[in-house]
Amino acid sequence: MSRLEAKKPSLCKSEPLTSEKVRATLCVLKGILTSSYGPSGRLKQVHSGLGGCVCTTSQSSALLSNLPVTHPILKILTTSTKNHVSCFSDCGLFTAILCCNLIENVQRTGLTPTTVIKLNQHLLRLCTHYLKSESCGCRIPVDFSSPQTLLCLVRSVVTSKPACMLTREETDHISALVLKAFLLTIPENTKDRLILGKSIIVPLKGHRVLDSTVLPGILIEVSEVQLMKILPIKKSDAFKVALFCSSLSGDLSDTGEGTVVVSSGVCLENAVLEQLLNLGRQLVSDHVDLVMCQKVIHPSLKQFLSMHRVIAIDRVGVALMEPLSKVTGTQPIGSLGSISPSSYGSVKDLCPAKFGFKHFLHLIPNEATICSLLLSNRSDTAWDELKLTCQTALHVLQLTIKEPCVLLGGGCTETHLAAYIRHKTCNEPESILRDNGCTQTELQLLTEAFCRALESVAGSLEHDGGEVLTDMKYGHCWSSQAESPSVVNWPDLLSRCGCGLCNSQEELRWSFLKTTQHPIAPQTCLPHEAIGSSNNLTLDCFTAKLSGLQVAVETANLILDLSYVIEDKN
Amino acid sequence: MAALGSAKAALQVTEVLETILSRCVGPEGRQVLCTKPTGEVLISRSGGCLLEALHLEHPIARMVVACVSSHLRKTGDGAKTFIIFLCHLLRGLHTVIDKEQDSLISKNIQTHRRHWKNCCQWKFISQALLTFQTQILDYIMDHYLSKHFLTIFSSSTEERTLCRSSLELLLEAYFCGRVGRNNHYFISQLMCNYFFKCMACESGFEEVFDLVDDYFVELNVGVTGLPVSDSRIIAGLVLHRDFSVYCPADGDIRIVIVTETIQPLFSASASEFILNSEAQFQTSQFWIMERTKAIVKHLQSQNVKLLLSSVKQPDLVTYYAGLNGISVVECLSPEEVSLIQRVMGLSPFILPQASSQYEICNTALVKFCKPLILRSKRYVHLGLISTCSFIPHCIVLCGPVQGLVEQHEGALHGAFKMLRQLFKDLDLSYMIQTSDQNHTSSPLTYKDSRESNPLPEIVNGLIQRPYQGTVVKNKGNLAKTQTYLKLYSNLVVPSVELETCIPCSTPKVTPTDTYQTNETLRCLAPTKTRTIDDNEPFIESNSANSTAENTEIEISSENLQVTKIAGKGNMLPVREKSLEMCTSQSYCCSTLPAGCVLPVGGNFEILLHYYLLNYTRKCQQSEESVVSMIIANALLGIPQVLYKSKKGKYSFPQIYIRTLRALQTSQPIVSSQTGLESVAGKYQLLTSVLQCLTKILTIDLVINIRRQPREMYDQDSDEEV
Repeated sequence: MSRLEAKKPSLCKSEPLTSEKVRATLCVLKGILTSSYGPSGRLKQVHSGLGGCVCTTSQSSALLSNLPVTHPILKILTTSTKNHVSCFSDCGLFTAILCCNLIENVQRTGLTPTTVIKLNQHLLRLCTHYLKSESCGCRIPVDFSSPQTLLCLVRSVVTSKPACMLTREETDHISALVLKAFLLTIPENTKDRLILGKSIIVPLKGHRVLDSTVLPGILIEVSEVQLMKILPIKKSDAFKVALFCSSLSGDLSDTGEGTVVVSSGVCLENAVLEQLLNLGRQLVSDHVDLVMCQKVIHPSLKQFLSMHRVIAIDRVGVALMEPLSKVTGTQPIGSLGSISPSSYGSVKDLCPAKFGFKHFLHLIPNEATICSLLLSNRSDTAWDELKLTCQTALHVLQLTIKEPCVLLGGGCTETHLAAYIRHKTCNEPESILRDNGCTQTELQLLTEAFCRALESVAGSLEHDGGEVLTDMKYGHCWSSQAESPSVVNWPDLLSRCGCGLCNSQEELRWSFLKTTQHPIAPQTCLPHEAIGSSNNLTLDCFTAKLSGLQVAVETANLILDLSYVIEDKN
Repeated sequence: MAALGSAKAALQVTEVLETILSRCVGPEGRQVLCTKPTGEVLISRSGGCLLEALHLEHPIARMVVACVSSHLRKTGDGAKTFIIFLCHLLRGLHTVIDKEQDSLISKNIQTHRRHWKNCCQWKFISQALLTFQTQILDYIMDHYLSKHFLTIFSSSTEERTLCRSSLELLLEAYFCGRVGRNNHYFISQLMCNYFFKCMACESGFEEVFDLVDDYFVELNVGVTGLPVSDSRIIAGLVLHRDFSVYCPADGDIRIVIVTETIQPLFSASASEFILNSEAQFQTSQFWIMERTKAIVKHLQSQNVKLLLSSVKQPDLVTYYAGLNGISVVECLSPEEVSLIQRVMGLSPFILPQASSQYEICNTALVKFCKPLILRSKRYVHLGLISTCSFIPHCIVLCGPVQGLVEQHEGALHGAFKMLRQLFKDLDLSYMIQTSDQNHTSSPLTYKDSRESNPLPEIVNGLIQRPYQGTVVKNKGNLAKTQTYLKLYSNLVVPSVELETCIPCSTPKVTPTDTYQTNETLRCLAPTKTRTIDDNEPFIESNSANSTAENTEIEISSENLQVTKIAGKGNMLPVREKSLEMCTSQSYCCSTLPAGCVLPVGGNFEILLHYYLLNYTRKCQQSEESVVSMIIANALLGIPQVLYKSKKGKYSFPQIYIRTLRALQTSQPIVSSQTGLESVAGKYQLLTSVLQCLTKILTIDLVINIRRQPREMYDQDSDEEV
């Protein structure tokens, strides 16, 4: 009998946000996140004193998954960020920082949670309506006929991850590769639904970044010895492929719940082997050129196949099965008996390839949406970071196909949005007051808190001691060099805004982000035609940022609404 | 160790719980974060969840929590109100008792003796509470409160049609207390849309509630990382897994369900397969393959395009299925299978035994079957064609964190429970006392609400039997038949009692074992007789017979015939005798029709408070009036909490006075809040709290032991250890 132990009673704390300890830990977390934000963000080294690998990163996904968080409130914050990242890959830090800022600012106002939550929700609705509306001044439609916008988007993602340690030239190279890999996954002729293919990232560590490349089809890593056996590959215009998902090792599969009694002298191994060889004979007679198996192929069968100049590759692994069956057009075979001829597929060409010290067998398809992205970077940690970055960029491109527009980056969307909200609540407060049953002062206080939270996200892009400003016409975000003289001619000091759309030579007035902002009606910057041609913009993914904004406000609302924390101490 | 179980301790405990829970009550309530030992984080406003999460140690607290959770299982709502009401009741009791003690008990009595004395007093009070719950409450509900009730149906005619706007009001008020205040409107709209989408016809809504409540887990999908506003309703059923093989197909798709592997295995369980030669092995493998191929081919020939399997199928099956253009979904949970069966009326496909004979297998059609991708996870999406009044739809619930998604899931499930409860008639029955006061505590008093039908009826049967027995005993010979028949009709009588009736000697039946007796009984009387027999005295003395009761009378007359055949024939006089005994009291049975609602904001409590006060004024017995008084005052505690944050015109005293004035001048009551709540739920809550309170009051000593209290059956297990 197991020992039954009484459960310890839980610990119940009221008003958790008022405790000094919680505030301090929230502040520390915010510090970590803001200092990593943006292209000039500082890197974080996460390691354990016990040994193991060291992670150098500035990405939210790597940072938050490695950071041990114990307090339940912080746990909510980090989990919601992590969940957001796993859905959209991008804008994780934005979400987390905005959420921290909101909590901090709202607490300073001292309003009751009921009012705060209602108003926050209302302001969020204003934001999402504005961002989705046609009149939005910080949204740009994507023109798929020219690659400029997409390339800018990818480059913005790559540059915002400084832990990849890329030079300018390398950044351009990687951005181009990612875009090319993405374009290869788009099928040429689609019916009603667009089904994107897949880019498989192949590691190639310890080489120059410029050695990275992208190839159509699939690369299967093989040992040199194995490759020597295969070579030379006979030439033909198409190779017949068979792909097995069941094991070809001759093991006896599930025999049922009862017992199987084998009389002495009966050798099942021989029987099974005989069966495998029969299968081999069938494959040979069907003129199959390449046999691949997810699991293990029996050595005798391998030998038999190679004698008949059939290439056999086993232990492909479950991850490659779907791309392989897509590339070759085969149906994974689960039978050791007769094989239907319809389940064979084919590839256009089959050639050995060598990248660095690794040998690959390259399967070149006739027409498929699978490609391999060979990534190389100098060190292991930098490679990990680069891989994550490329995955993010590919995902962002996929999201952009679904919703063909992008947002201005470099903090411009945040300041523009803040200006819009200020303008809106200042000029049309009646409807908001009526809907939520609050006073004018409460609305003003909370609008200020909300807009400040947005602006300080933009402000956290600056890490080198420079000033962050906003202009009074478009509401874009500008940052100046550090240690600028006290009396300056701003147009000389500021050249371009954060996203790169506005020029300082225009007649503009600026104000510091930290000072009190006067409500302005932000204007749309440029006609959209001009945007397509400019190739040096900083852009953000629309879907990811919109959802990040919503998740941040919802999470902040949730945390502000907590009146108790019950901790189970078992 | 033993501690004196007193109401004082209970009061302390519930006061602590009240302070915690009262912050989450009502539209102004806030959220609570619970962590689990596994590190998961849960967000909750539901009282039941919080009480569980606290892991309370105090024995009385644990008992209270057990009472709350049993109440929640029934109704799915009202945990927080439960605690608040209980706390106020205990507080009220205390003040009353303290007063009495000061006047009654002299100071020099030893404390221990005083405790026992107290216990006696508590016991009287608990009995008074029980009388209140069984008699007065129903009376007041029926006579006074019922005229204030509103209905959720749009018209009061026979045709019951649900009114969408009232349902919205009801749900909004419910979610106000269950989910965060920024989401309650959205979630209640979502649920309302869901309900109306699922309902095939106006009359079938009860089936929809039953089905959704039973299969709630299968009918919703949680997605984390997206904002709550991305939650939506999807037509069809979403299975929480991916296709093993997917072959795209257009148009209506024929499906089958299997519950075993299609590929025959070497040996079934508890059997042996003897392999004598290699050739035998090869032929049997060949046979297995051919047979699998044949079955899949057969399915294809029946135009089956989708195979749903509750078990994992071998590679061979999925391969052949793929070759034949059949999509496969494996590892369905038993609940999913039974949901599909219930919605489509489809039973599992049974594999033909002999390889040659293939009969028509059980198939059904679905509108579509395609993969669904939610947050890069793949699901199977089926467009089931319903054969019942439930059109399958799924709710996709989104939220930034799992804890929030779970909260919304729990709230939605609770709402369906609440509605299920609401749409059942609530039977009220009570006794109107006429001149004869001696019968107040007659065992015949009975209360019956239809939701909890089986249990009270059995109890009634048990209570009633000795009573009838005593009547009949005087009648000598007849008595035997009467008791005998009584036992006859009672199918749940334990075998011991059956044995006692053997000496009563009827030639027809000589029961040797219980099962047989039951069977013969079934031959003699219809199965329903038990309930009918128990109710007979009431029915016949009832002045207001509803139609339902009329049918019961018909059956009971059948039953009479049966008794005539079985017994000595002269049963009727006996029954008349027993009726005469009853005439001094008249029993009223009435029904609260399904769908009764009241406006939110403590309306029910204030109304009941008002009428209870009126009742106590008329009441002669002191004990009853004291108890009613305490309950009436405790009821006010709930609106007090609800209006705590309101000021001025909407503060509690103002509203209270306004309502009372309106009641006295019999004007309509104006409620400041929109929103409705279920009367049946409130009634249930009241009775649950009173039952819990009687339980607390009847305990006199709490004994602390080291081990778990043992179950009765393993008394002799490990004595030596």
